[in-house]
Amino acid sequence: MGGPQYDLLMNPLGAVRQTFEKAVASSQPSGLDPTALYRGKDWGIVDVLNQFLFSQGGLAQVPILDASSLKWIKPNTLVRFRGMVQDMLGNEFYIGAFKDGCTWRTNKFLDFSPFSVPPVSETTLWERRLFHCVPVPGQNSWAIESTPYPLKINISNEMTCQHGEKRRRDDDPDGISDFDCCDEGSSSSNKKQKDCGSASHHKIAEITNGSSFPTNSFSCLVKVYDMPESQFKLNEVVEFIGIYTFDPELTTSDRSDNVDDDMSMFDFMDDVATHLPPSKVPRIHCLVSQKLSTQDLISNSPACEPLPNVIRGIRDSLVSYLSCTLGNDVIAAQCLLLHLLSKLRVKSDVASVGQLSLNLTGFTQESASIFGKQLNNAIKTLLPYSHTIPLTIEYLNTAMLQPKKDNESGRLLMGALQLASGTHLTLDETVMQSGTLNSKGVENVLLLKHLMEHQIVEYDFQFYKLEMATEVQCLIISEAKSNILPADLVVPVCPSAVAPVSASEEQLHAWRWYLTTVRSLPYSTDTSICEMLQNEMVEAMRKDRSLGCSDLSRWMTMAQLMAASFGEKSFSVEHWQMVKEIERLRKERL
Amino acid sequence: MASNGHSSPFGQATPNGNSNSSQTPRRSSRRRTNNSNSSPASSPFPLETPPSRPAGVASTPTTSRRRGTRHNPNATPSTPLSTDDAVPPYSSDRDENDNMETDGQDDTTPVFVWGTNISVQEVNGAILRFLRHFRDARSASESSEAADLMSEGKYMRVVHRIMELEGAESLDIDAHDVFEYDPDLYNKMVRYPLEVLAIFDIVLMDLVARIDPLFEKHIQTRIHNLKSSVCMRNLNPSDIEKMVSIKGMIIRCSSIIPELKEAIFRCLVCGFYSDPVLVDRGRINEPTRCLREECKAMNSMSLVHNRCRFADKQIVKLQETPDEIPEGGTPHTVSVLMHDKLVDAGKPGDRVEITGIYRAMSVRVGPSQRTVKSIFKTYIDCLHLKKTDKSRLQIDDSVNHDANNNAANHEEDDASLYHDKIEKLKELSKLPDIYDRLTRSLAPNIWELDDVKRGLLCQLFGGNALKLGSSGASLRGDINILLVGDPGTSKSQLLQYMHKLSPRGIYTSGRGSSAVGLTAYVTKDPETGETVLESGALVLSDRGVCCIDEFDKMSDNARSMLHEVMEQQTVSIAKAGIIASLNARTSVLACANPSESRYNPRLSVIDNIHLPPTLLSRFDLIYLILDKADEQTDRRLAKHIVSLFFQNPDNSVHEVLDLTTLVAYISYAKKHIHPVLSDEAAEELTRQYVQMRQRGNTPGSRKKVITATARQIESLIRLSEALARMRFSQVVEVGDVAEAFRLLEVALQQSATDHSTGTIDMDLIMTGISASERTRRENILAATRNLVMEKLVTGGPAVRALELLEELKKQSSMEVHLSDLKIALSTLTSEGLVVFHGDTIKRI
Repeated sequence: MGGPQYDLLMNPLGAVRQTFEKAVASSQPSGLDPTALYRGKDWGIVDVLNQFLFSQGGLAQVPILDASSLKWIKPNTLVRFRGMVQDMLGNEFYIGAFKDGCTWRTNKFLDFSPFSVPPVSETTLWERRLFHCVPVPGQNSWAIESTPYPLKINISNEMTCQHGEKRRRDDDPDGISDFDCCDEGSSSSNKKQKDCGSASHHKIAEITNGSSFPTNSFSCLVKVYDMPESQFKLNEVVEFIGIYTFDPELTTSDRSDNVDDDMSMFDFMDDVATHLPPSKVPRIHCLVSQKLSTQDLISNSPACEPLPNVIRGIRDSLVSYLSCTLGNDVIAAQCLLLHLLSKLRVKSDVASVGQLSLNLTGFTQESASIFGKQLNNAIKTLLPYSHTIPLTIEYLNTAMLQPKKDNESGRLLMGALQLASGTHLTLDETVMQSGTLNSKGVENVLLLKHLMEHQIVEYDFQFYKLEMATEVQCLIISEAKSNILPADLVVPVCPSAVAPVSASEEQLHAWRWYLTTVRSLPYSTDTSICEMLQNEMVEAMRKDRSLGCSDLSRWMTMAQLMAASFGEKSFSVEHWQMVKEIERLRKERL
Repeated sequence: MASNGHSSPFGQATPNGNSNSSQTPRRSSRRRTNNSNSSPASSPFPLETPPSRPAGVASTPTTSRRRGTRHNPNATPSTPLSTDDAVPPYSSDRDENDNMETDGQDDTTPVFVWGTNISVQEVNGAILRFLRHFRDARSASESSEAADLMSEGKYMRVVHRIMELEGAESLDIDAHDVFEYDPDLYNKMVRYPLEVLAIFDIVLMDLVARIDPLFEKHIQTRIHNLKSSVCMRNLNPSDIEKMVSIKGMIIRCSSIIPELKEAIFRCLVCGFYSDPVLVDRGRINEPTRCLREECKAMNSMSLVHNRCRFADKQIVKLQETPDEIPEGGTPHTVSVLMHDKLVDAGKPGDRVEITGIYRAMSVRVGPSQRTVKSIFKTYIDCLHLKKTDKSRLQIDDSVNHDANNNAANHEEDDASLYHDKIEKLKELSKLPDIYDRLTRSLAPNIWELDDVKRGLLCQLFGGNALKLGSSGASLRGDINILLVGDPGTSKSQLLQYMHKLSPRGIYTSGRGSSAVGLTAYVTKDPETGETVLESGALVLSDRGVCCIDEFDKMSDNARSMLHEVMEQQTVSIAKAGIIASLNARTSVLACANPSESRYNPRLSVIDNIHLPPTLLSRFDLIYLILDKADEQTDRRLAKHIVSLFFQNPDNSVHEVLDLTTLVAYISYAKKHIHPVLSDEAAEELTRQYVQMRQRGNTPGSRKKVITATARQIESLIRLSEALARMRFSQVVEVGDVAEAFRLLEVALQQSATDHSTGTIDMDLIMTGISASERTRRENILAATRNLVMEKLVTGGPAVRALELLEELKKQSSMEVHLSDLKIALSTLTSEGLVVFHGDTIKRI
């Protein structure tokens, strides 16, 4: 192929067209119908793009679409978007390919056809999947990747240069423009942009029409092609690389023309996309996508191989940092570390293994304001996604924790508990006062309880509830043991000193890397200590009758996490003893 | 034979060549064969059908005579080939039919629907043949002797019925029937539903017109029950314009939209009314000028709304049901267009199965835009809507019938339940380990407690309720179970699970429920002043399981209501002048925490749960779920937990029935299996019961006593019946009785184990004090007596109990508690040795 003739960054549609023509041409001799051949299939554009992005380092040049870059990124260019799949809007049928005279044309990766579309009989329908994606809720600032500043300038300059040459086609009376003209339509903004030279304000925000969509939030409608069913799951974090399209023509027409008699009916039949006006929700036609794990958010990892001594060093410094935030309480810091490393490993009907929710007790309102704050800050700087919920009566009675399907608009309304997997949830119970919970409050509490116990959130689909598996670490800060939300591990915190907490950027980076790496380490099982463990347990049960199933499995979980915290894959007697020691010290405090 | 009578006027009116030739039955049958398997063009003989429409002219005198002589009821009408000898008795119908089949053929070249391989004539003929001759294979075999009734095909009868009633406007056609009769037609129908259905309607209209030319209503064809249904999320572009069948739940209905069908215009100038203008492809062509010769005014025509004809239309949103949604997905939705009769046929929340045509509609960007969006909106043009069952299998049908005549309605129910499903259940029941398998399937997430689960299983299956004909007394078949146990022993989870499993299960917490809440109460309607009886949980769970959590927290008042419920199975209400006895044939599953929150093994069950023995005895099984200090259980627990971490816990749970199968299994058994005690089983029952009674005979105890009563034998019968039911066995065998005894004994054992010695002591549950406890108490009593004699002087100063306890502890080798001392002292008080007042002891 010898390098793309088209600038993939600025004019990806050109490449789309080129590759399509090439593919059609190559299929011609075989006499096959190209539309049938390329239905639900890639004709080479993805390969071209992959090569550009990953082999030629083009990835760094692709601007990231977010609320701020939306202002200056031009339509029909290549963008990157990282977000959580918030809602699945089903499939959309579109005219995939059609014959314009005697040439085949495609509408793939386009919102609407720039050509006059022939009668239905001469077209073929293809389908694509629609996802409504939002920036990951609770994403901490350090984990948000944004386009570096120089690149911004660079791109916008480049854009304006190219822009001038293409301006002429804007006046095309038929509204039919060529692929090359990637910026058809949005003339008002473009003109402005030309004047200002660089990042000027798009008119997007001003084109408002009576939609209930909140103005401050940013979300994307991603159209994904050629994807097997259920490749993406709800609440997964995905990076999409695709073509950003924006068409003011679509915007103006979407909701304002209720004059049409049919409109009331068609509105009812309308897909949910109408409730996501393109003016507020940019469209991305996805070319390449990949699921993101938390590891992907940590750039340039220091050590590729988690070596035990490196791990141990990082661990020690992290524990001291955590104990610092908790007023030099090492036991609590150890437990906190285990909690931060916990992850639901196996889930079956029988039990959930691996999760360790933590309840730090002994906070008064005053001490919570100091340590709670420090703790929150620490978690924010360490974990990519975190969220804090103040458990007040008022909050519980009013907040919408449960994601709920709005059948009127056909959309899933985001509840506070619609979280990406791996999110850390802090529940602050110190602010709780006595009061009456109304039915909603009770429902919310049950929802939280269910989440903590089973790592499941029930989504409300009005006529039925659907259980969604989530993976959220729950930390509760309370005065005394929380009975509302029973955690796996209850640790009273005994702060002895208020020390200013500080950490260098380097350290933070190492800790972040440590936490995500250790969490994703596979566990292996060493069955040789099975017998020993069983004996230990039986012995412990004989000594203390109050020990139950939950205590024993907690020990196992903690021992496994303890081992993991040292970078070990399976735990040994040593780790077991450490856990026992922690448990002993913890018991003394209770 | 109504159709024959109707068609005769035609025959007389238009005799023609074709009808003459069709007098020979052989010929007619041959032609049919040709029509059905090849295109009409290849027909070997000329079809001389005249262009004129009325061709249904078969019943010439000759044929009628022939029919009279050669009546052959055994001929299977659906076989297109027939020989001379086996002339079908309805040759006249067939002849007429043959003629009709050729109706559409104005010339010999076949007419194809554009873009398809559908030949209009061919399809026309196939449909007509199907309508006329399809006979239900099953019903036909059933009523072979009543051949007279079977004179018409299944759908002809329906058509006649529709015409007689004049009510229905649609003919429901089972697609399975179509497939059975003519797979080719079925395939065409599914692939090109628009075209084929249009022909279907025409044929039907023709048919009706032939039967009764005056019948005006248009009968629509509604196809349902396609051979395969599509999952909503699997609809793809290739399904467009095809007939599909999907299941889903209605989540939203639009208001009814009147759709214009025929428009009438009036000239504003001269007042001339136009002829009705039909809708053509969704548009009405408004006349631009007045049609009256004299007027001819331009742009004067305006629509007269109240003279136009409208049809109802509604758009319904259908959403996937939870069982079709893959993990981590959200339900898909699809729009469904409903017409006429289908409007408002389903309400939001209904689970429905819809048959319709999947269609796509291009989207205009807007009326002012010239560009057409390349996006298509899809919807389903609904042809047929069927409401499907709710998730829980209904076993409530039997509520209306008394258990005694349940056997009578076996047949009618059989049809409703799917045969293969039943077969599967029966196959399951034949498994040798079905009992264990069911046990495993019950709350698989709750570990251990196997015997409790077995008991609960018995409760789900239940025994036979019996009504003694002479006295009118009835014996309940429901099994009541009480779970008592330490906190955190997953009692509540068991209850929740049972509630989920049981049809009409009610879950309530004793803490919150008042007497009325649990039973029924009377309210006065604030507007009309009428007194209304509102049933509470127990009445609502009639024929179900009423799960009561925190039974111990329930008020005495509410609990007393349970007495009647648990034995007489009724609730009596005397309020606001209404005295009513409501059926509450419910099994009660209660769970309680011990009164001291943790079970105190020193106390009897009764003392531990603070329930009156009268109520307690109404529970068939009482399980104590305790955290016992038992190394064996500890070890098993430890092993379980360790294995959870070291292995994939999934393999520990296998061969379990999923929830739906379990529910189906139970409901089928409850409905259809009514086991009877065999003689041997009865004998075994008596023998064991007598044995048990003897064991429970401990004379001279002073505490509240429950002895084995007739209630216990009733429970045993119920349990063994339930056990037989689990095997789908109509006879209770000795094995069932033995297992019932074992279950009862295990329950007693759990509640009657003496924890200090580890031996089973029936005294514990019967008297509240175990034998070992008794000896211990006697020892303490003796020691205390000695102490009192030693330390205290008659009439001397009082001693504090704690001091005495210290002394006692010093002297005695065994552990002594204050409560023990108090018991001993109270005995001494009753003996008249001391006065025990508050905390001080005085010797008299």
